[in-house]
This record gives sequence, C-alpha cells and structure tokens, in this order.
Amino acid sequence: MTSAVTITRHGGTGGRTAVAARARQVVKAYGSGETRVVALDHVDVDIARGQFTAIMGPSGSGKSTLMHCLAGLDTVTSGQIYLDETEITGLKDKKLTQLRRDRIGFIFQAFNLLPTLNAIENITLPMDIAGRKPDRAWLDRVVETVGLAGRLKHRPTQLSGGQQQRVAVARALAARPEIIFGDEPTGNLDSRAGAEVLGFLRRSVDELGQTIVMVTHDPVAASYADRVLYLADGRIVDEMYQPTADQVLDRMKDFDARGRTS
Amino acid sequence: MTVLKTSMRNFFAHKGRMALSAVAVLLSVAFVCGTLVFTDTMNTTFDKLFQATSSDVQVSAKGSSDTGETTSRTGKPPVLPASVVGEIRTARGVKAAEGTVFSTSVTVVDGDKDKLSPSSGAPTIVGSWNRNDARTMEIASGTAPKGPDQVMVDADTADKHGLEIGDEISVITAVGTHHARVSGTAAFKVTNPGAAIFYLDTRTAQQTLVGRTGVYTNINVTAAAGVTDAQLKKNVTAVLGHDYKVQTAKEVADANQKDVQSFLNVMKYAMLGFAGIAFLVGIFLIINTFSMLVAQRTREIGLMRAIGSSRRQINRSVLVEALLLGVLGSVLGVGAGIGIAVGLMKLMGQMGMHLSTDDLTVAWTTPALGLLLGVVVTVLAAYLPARRAGKVSPMAALRDAGAPADAKAGAVRAVLGLLLTGAGGWSLYVAATADKAKTGSGWLGLGVVLTLIGFVVIGPLLAGGLVRVLGAVLLRIFGPVGRMAERNALRNPRRTGATGAALMIGLALVACLSVVGSSMVASATDQLDKTVGADFIIRSDQENGLVARQAVQAVKGTPGLKRVTEYKWTEAALTTPDGRRLPNTAVMAVDPAYATDVRTETVAGDVRDAYRIDSMSVPEKFADDHGIRLGSTITVAYEDGRTARLTVRAITRSDTLIDAGAMYTSIDTLAKYIPADRMPLDEMVLATAAEGQEAAAYKALKAALHDDFPQLTVRDQTDYKQELKDQVGQLLNMIYGLLALAIIVAVLGVVNTLALSVVERTREIGLMRAIGLSRRQLRRMIRLESVVIAVFGALLGLGLGMSWGATAQQLLAMEGLKILEIPWPTITGVFIGSAFVGLFAALVPAFRAARMNVLNAIATD
Repeated sequence: MTSAVTITRHGGTGGRTAVAARARQVVKAYGSGETRVVALDHVDVDIARGQFTAIMGPSGSGKSTLMHCLAGLDTVTSGQIYLDETEITGLKDKKLTQLRRDRIGFIFQAFNLLPTLNAIENITLPMDIAGRKPDRAWLDRVVETVGLAGRLKHRPTQLSGGQQQRVAVARALAARPEIIFGDEPTGNLDSRAGAEVLGFLRRSVDELGQTIVMVTHDPVAASYADRVLYLADGRIVDEMYQPTADQVLDRMKDFDARGRTS
Repeated sequence: MTVLKTSMRNFFAHKGRMALSAVAVLLSVAFVCGTLVFTDTMNTTFDKLFQATSSDVQVSAKGSSDTGETTSRTGKPPVLPASVVGEIRTARGVKAAEGTVFSTSVTVVDGDKDKLSPSSGAPTIVGSWNRNDARTMEIASGTAPKGPDQVMVDADTADKHGLEIGDEISVITAVGTHHARVSGTAAFKVTNPGAAIFYLDTRTAQQTLVGRTGVYTNINVTAAAGVTDAQLKKNVTAVLGHDYKVQTAKEVADANQKDVQSFLNVMKYAMLGFAGIAFLVGIFLIINTFSMLVAQRTREIGLMRAIGSSRRQINRSVLVEALLLGVLGSVLGVGAGIGIAVGLMKLMGQMGMHLSTDDLTVAWTTPALGLLLGVVVTVLAAYLPARRAGKVSPMAALRDAGAPADAKAGAVRAVLGLLLTGAGGWSLYVAATADKAKTGSGWLGLGVVLTLIGFVVIGPLLAGGLVRVLGAVLLRIFGPVGRMAERNALRNPRRTGATGAALMIGLALVACLSVVGSSMVASATDQLDKTVGADFIIRSDQENGLVARQAVQAVKGTPGLKRVTEYKWTEAALTTPDGRRLPNTAVMAVDPAYATDVRTETVAGDVRDAYRIDSMSVPEKFADDHGIRLGSTITVAYEDGRTARLTVRAITRSDTLIDAGAMYTSIDTLAKYIPADRMPLDEMVLATAAEGQEAAAYKALKAALHDDFPQLTVRDQTDYKQELKDQVGQLLNMIYGLLALAIIVAVLGVVNTLALSVVERTREIGLMRAIGLSRRQLRRMIRLESVVIAVFGALLGLGLGMSWGATAQQLLAMEGLKILEIPWPTITGVFIGSAFVGLFAALVPAFRAARMNVLNAIATD
C-alpha cells in the first residue's frame, strides 16, 4: 500500500448513489521544518449519500483530523473538500459556521449537550440558533425514533449517559442535515447503551435516508456501517463494505501486525 | 515547602486569571497610599512655608486670630499703635522689631474690573512690603513699591492674569478704593500656597487697609544672637504686659498648621473612606476569582487529596496563592499610589498651588499600611473559597470534571438574608419615624449596614428571581441567544449575586446621595418660594466678605426698590437663664423689615417683636436646650462692645433650611451696645423691588454695583436657587467622582466573572460553535449575560440606595428637609448607564470567546 486508495463511485447499491462529501488531495500538517507532523497525507475520499461510513485507524492515524476537516471544523493545509457541490476549503468562518449550522450535524464522544438547556431545547438548538422553526412532524418522529418522548423536559444532568447520547443523536437528526459526523459517539457508553445508539444511527440511515460518517476504534461499532475506511499515518490504506465485527477486528489485527513487523 | 511550591506554580499558571483581582487590590491600595502621600506632602509643604514666613516673635492686637490673620467684622483689621514698636525695642534680646500692616478683607481688581483673586479659594492678601517678607520673597522684576501709586504683585498672580509693570490695579477695602500701578513682581522662595499677594509701601498700606497711619496689624520681632524665641517672647511680654498677643514663630506656625491640618484631615478621611468602599467591592471580586479557580481545579485538588494531602494543606495552598496575589497587588499599588500623589500635586499646580516634588513625603507607615491592608483584605477574601477547597473529597479526582455543579443557594442563606434585611428594614423604619435626629441617625446607620449585608447575603436568591424577570422583559427579543444568556447568568447564582452586589454597593451610595441632594434642593426651593419675600440678595463673593457702607448706600440709592434690609453678623458671649455661658455665639442683627423679607415661622411669639429695642429671637432647639421661654432674659456680651440684656420675644421653628438655628436682634439694638467705629459691616443686603419693577430694578442694581463694587454680586431668587442647585450638584459630582473608583472595581469584577466563565465554559462554547453558533451570536450571548448581571446589580443598588435616601429625608425633615424628591433623570441615567457598563465589561471576554479555537474546545482530552 504505497499510495492512497482512490475510492471510485461504485458503491454496493448501484451507480446512482450521489456523493455527499468528498476530499481531494487533502493535506493537513502541523508545525514546520524538522518538527513538521503530517496528519493527513494527500487524502482522497468520497462519502456516499445515504450511507453509514465508519473511519477507523489506530491512535494518531489522522482519523479524527479527517473528520474535523470534512466537517468544516478544521482547516486543511492544501487540497479541497466539498460538501455536495460546495467547496468548503477556503470558506470564511462566517460561511463555515452557517454551513455547519444548516447542513451538518454533530455527535461527539462526550459533552454533547448544554447543561443549561433541557433535552428538547438541546435538540432544537441548531434550528433556534438559525432562527428556523423546527418541522413539528419530523421532530416528533425523531424524538420517537430515539425513544425520548418522556424525558424532553429533563436537564442533561438528569439523564443517563446513553440517554444523553440519544439526545445528541436526536439533535443531529432534527435539523435534517445533509450529513452527520460522529466522533466516537459511543466511546463513553457501556455496550448496551452503545448498541442502542448505534441502532438508532443505523435506522436513521435505513429509514430516514440520512448520511452518517463516524470515527471509531471499536470494531463492533464499525460493523453497523455500510463501509469502513482504514487510516494509517494520514493515508487511507484500505476499505471494506458491509463489514462484520469479526472481519473488522481481523483486519485491524492484520494492520497491527504489519505495523509492528515493518 | 511543597505547599509553597504548588501554590507558586498554580499562581503563575493562572496569572491571567489573577490579573483582574490584582488590579482591584492595586487600585484600592494605590488610592489609600496616594491619599496618604498627598496629604503628608501638603502638610510638609505648609509646615515649611509657615516656618519660613513667621518671624521669631510676632506681636499683634488682642482681637486678631492665632494664625495672625487679620479679619474682623468691621472689614478693617485689628491694629496696635506704632508706639508699641519702640517699646518692644527696649526689651532684652531684641535685635530688631518692625511693624507691618496686612489684611485679607480685600478685593483687588485690574483695570477692566476683573478680579485678581485665586480661583482655588486661597486668600487675597494686601500688605506692607517689609524685611520679613523679603526673607521668603525676592523681587523678580521691577522695584519694591514706593509711594501711594505703586504696588508689587506676586509673580504667579502676575503671570496668571497677565499683569505687567505699569498696569493699573485697584484695591477695594472697607476704607475705600485705592488705585495704583504695578511697580514690580516678587517671586516666592518657598512653595507658593496659591494666595494672591499685593504689596504696598507701609504708609500706603496703613491708609488703604486701616484708613489712618501710625498703626500696625503685626510687629515682627527678631531675636538677637543666642536668644531663643521662647525667651524673647518672655522678654517682650515683660515689656508690653498682656495688652497684646505675643506669639513665637512656632506658635504662629502651629496655629496655621492646625488650620491646614484640620482641612487636610477632613479630605484625608473622606478619601480613605472611599478607598475603603473600593476595598469592600474588591473583596467580592477576589472571592469570585478564588471560588472559580477552586471550582475549576476540583479534580486536581481531589487528586492531591487522594494521594495524601490534608485538608489543611489544600486550604493553606489556596491562602498562600492569595497571599502572593495580595503582596503583588499591594506592592504595585504602593508604587501607583505615589504616582497618584505626584499627579495630584501637578493638578494642584494647574490650580495655582505649586507643590515641589522635593517635598514628596512618603512616611514609612504609608507603604506599610498599604501592604498590610492589601494583603489582609486579599487573604481574608480568599478564606471562604480556601475552606471550600479543603472540603473537596478525594473522590472528585475520579469523577468526570465536566462543568462544576450548579451551586444552589441554600435555605440557611435565605433565612439569614431575610432576617438581616428585615432587621435592616425595621431599623430604617424606626429612623424614618424617629423624633430625635440623634437617635434617628443611629438607626439609619444601622439600617444601612444591615440592609446592605442582608442584600449581599440574599443576592444569589434575588439573582434567581430578578434575572428571570429581566430575561422575560429584556432577553426574549434576542431569541435563543437571549435565553442562553439568561440561563448562563442563572447557572451560578452565588457568582452572579456576588458580582452584582459589588456593583450594587457603589450604585446604592450614588442613588442615596442623589435622593438626599435633590430633596435638599427641592425643599430649599420650596421654602424660598414660601417664606422669602425679598427679591434680591447682595453679598460679597469672598469668603467672609462684607458689604461696604458705600455699597449699601449705592443699593439704597437704586431706583425701583421699595425696601432694602441690612443684615449683620456679630459674635457675643451669651449667658442663658440656665446659667450657661456660651462664648463666641453668632447673633444676627437685622433691620425690622427682615420680618417681611423672610417670613420666619415661630412656635411662640411674633418674630417682629424680636426686632424691638432690647429684644431678640431664639430658635426652638436652643430654647429647649437652655430652658428659654417667651420673656426670658439672655445676657449678650458683644465682643467689641458692651453687655446687653435682651428679652426673648419670639421662638422660631427649627425645622427649616433657611436661617436654621439663627438668633436675631435688631441693628438698632446692636447700635446701643457697639460704638459706631466698631460697628460690623453688613454680611449681606436684601432688597425688594417695587411692584412690577423687578426686572428694571435687577438691572439697575447690577449696574449700580458693577463698576465700584466688583466684589459684590446681586442675585435674584432664580439666581439664588440655581446657585443652590449648582452647589449641591458640585458636591454630588465630587462624591460621584470618588465613588467612581468603587464602581470601576465593580466593573472589573464583572469583566473578571465573565472572563473566568468563558474559560470555564470552553467546551460548551466549542460545542455551540460546532453546531453552528456564529461568532456574532456568541459575542452577543456573552454581552447579554454581562448586561443582565450589571442591570441586576443596578436594580439592587438603586432600590437600596433610594430607600436609604428616602429614610434620610424623612429623618432630616425635622431639619427642614421636608420634600422627598427622587431625581428620576439621575436614577434612569444610572440604570441605563449600568447596561452600557455591562456591554463594556463584556468586550474583551466576548472577543476572546469568539476567537477560541473550536477544535481545542471540543477535543476530548
């Protein structure tokens, strides 16, 4: 594996799958001269619309950086990133903020919710900020899907970790973003609560047609995805479609072993 | 040792967060030290001046004051005959004796009738040019005055008014107006205290100031070698007997110094009082800072506890940080204080008092006091947060740090706060309904202190309610950003409460004083309208200035006036029916028409009867204190005349602002007991226009006095009211200016709270930015939070201050402060201003929050 894999738009579901986001020759480097560290090394990637994509890789592989760049949270050193047909690299903060607000949803590993707002206020926050009225029917459906109907007036401190993450999922879904980015969304949860949240993500892809990109190092979490991208040393080194947890784990072990011997 | 090391590291690691607390300590300490250094320097300067100007021994007339100042109610200085000089020369140990004449009861104008007096309130002195003066002044240009046409001016006055040799000036005294031309200027060899000084030759000075030659106001005696001042005084007294006042240089200097010192002390303690308020406000800031640092460091402290630090060690490490902060702030504050003092000295220079930095006096007590105050206050303020840090459980290290739990104001706080506020309110009520001013003011003080503490204690609870109301009224229009601002202000009521309380203190004082001040103006205006029948009041601009006889004649000759009333001020020793002797008591003497000019209300008798021969009026309070009833006789020993026995024919009401506490007799009665040549000049003259002639008479009066008596000013009732308003306004402005320090510290407190909150909420801010909150919205959110805190503080402060002010007015109603006037423009102005203060305070924290890197903020560590 000497160069980055170029992912062509074939996809398992046929050629009609549009691309929700793509990266072209993206480089992200920190520092300069001898201390220069390259986090992303000429990465090309397409994120298919209506699919659940997982990004995996060991610590320091650049998986979080890739997600941050795709989501417009971080700037790139060179290369382009497109959200649908909009190039987001080079956008000013104001435009980027608007873009994140209107077209992207986020689920973080922890600290997803504002402690001062209750569950429903947290869910509608992106739309409130934008000054948009939430679509009532959609909101109800989302709330029902994540199973929070009875807890909408609760403050985050009154919710369990799993419930908090479900609120975060609901928030990400409620605004109907083009794409949702998850940064280890189940990293802080036990396996049962994690499975619950991943189940919701899966269902939102299947039933609601949502596009999701998730960074994880958990093979079980990755197995919920349609496709897994493997990152190492800032490059995409492999991918896998319709993975199972065992397959992912094997592949990971494989990389681990190779990493150690080479 | 480790404790010290961790404290040091923590202190420097968080130096940004400590910066504003250090500034608060710095400002307060600087104000204290600046005040002390400045007043000490003034003392040194005057001490030097008085030492330099006094001759070894000074002999003056019996009636003159200890300070050697020579004013009297007749407008002419008390004098001693020139022959005394010869007598003194016969005393042993006298090297030289020289008579001088000088007076401060003068007005000097230039050719355009513009006054040549200092604007700072320092005196104008006209005197003879003597050898004693030549010790402290040197002729800078021209020559010493010689003959009746020449006058020498001090160089600073000449500079300020652009006087040149040959310019004409006029000296106006009780004797008349003397014209002369400037022959030269003399410069001070010591610090110029700001007085305007004019020198004539001795003969001219005698004629101009006293009206005859052969008299002196003072005789300066120089000791022969080896004779001490005290010895010289003894020798001179032996020759002169006790007919004259004989003082050594030290006695004169001390008497002068005492005058200056009492003034400086008033200033010093007033300014220290304001510094104290700033300290009080600073305490809130320091408490908030340390509370937030402790909260943010909970996990760290938990770890320390888990690995074996004792509570005391944690406690101590926080206090050591406070100690470092206190020392740093105080040291810088002492330095800044000296800077402030030098600045004030420069400012005095602008006003005509040239203080030399050579005299800068920094007593060792000043830095010591500054340091002690700064450190003690800081450590005391940090004590509560330190204790809280000690209580952090080792388990805290294991829990997710996250945002610190919302501090709920406890029930204990509610009960305690309500009790204090209730007790304070009750005290205020007692004060308002008190029937004795003295007991009432005690209750007022107690009420003020209790309600203030009560509000501070209950502040966090009030914050909950008030912020919600503000949110409903103010923030709703800002949508979700407003709502988040409201929630943020509410999430830690204790912090919001303390921040608001700091602002509350300064604003409460502003509100209270503005209520009292405007009530004073309103009450006085009302009384003027109701009781004063005279249209015009004519008096001198000088302090203790008098109206010369010629001027009274000029007023009486003005067309369009139907009544002119003279008003004299005398001092006498009174012996009341209860047998008490009251020396130096002021007794006014007026024309009987005064009863029409000021319709003084009486509790017994008719005030007009008091103006009959050998009659007088006394105020109610005085009558009560001394058992005086209508018909009682009071023995009145006039200072410059004989002793009279006057019958009390009227007892006037005490609850008035006009003529409060004054006792009256008629000028005819006075004339019976005081010889014509010692008759005091008029303090003021009241005049009333004939029907419909008011405007014309006003103009005519001004015209009549302008040229010949520039020292006199005519005011009609409108002028007088305006002047009253201006005076109160000026006083209030001065106090507001000094309160500004406390308000600045409070504003720093708001900035501090916001800045620390932003640090504390880094992750939240990152999250909001990630999900699409724009920088503008973020800045607005922080600004709104700031405005809410500031407006909360303003509401508490204004409410509290207005209730204090209203209580004070109720209490002072018995002193004539009968009308309660709430100065709504000021109150509204302060309220709106506080909102702007909130905006201003949020500038930097909002800017920094908006600049925060989203990724750093959301990165999971």
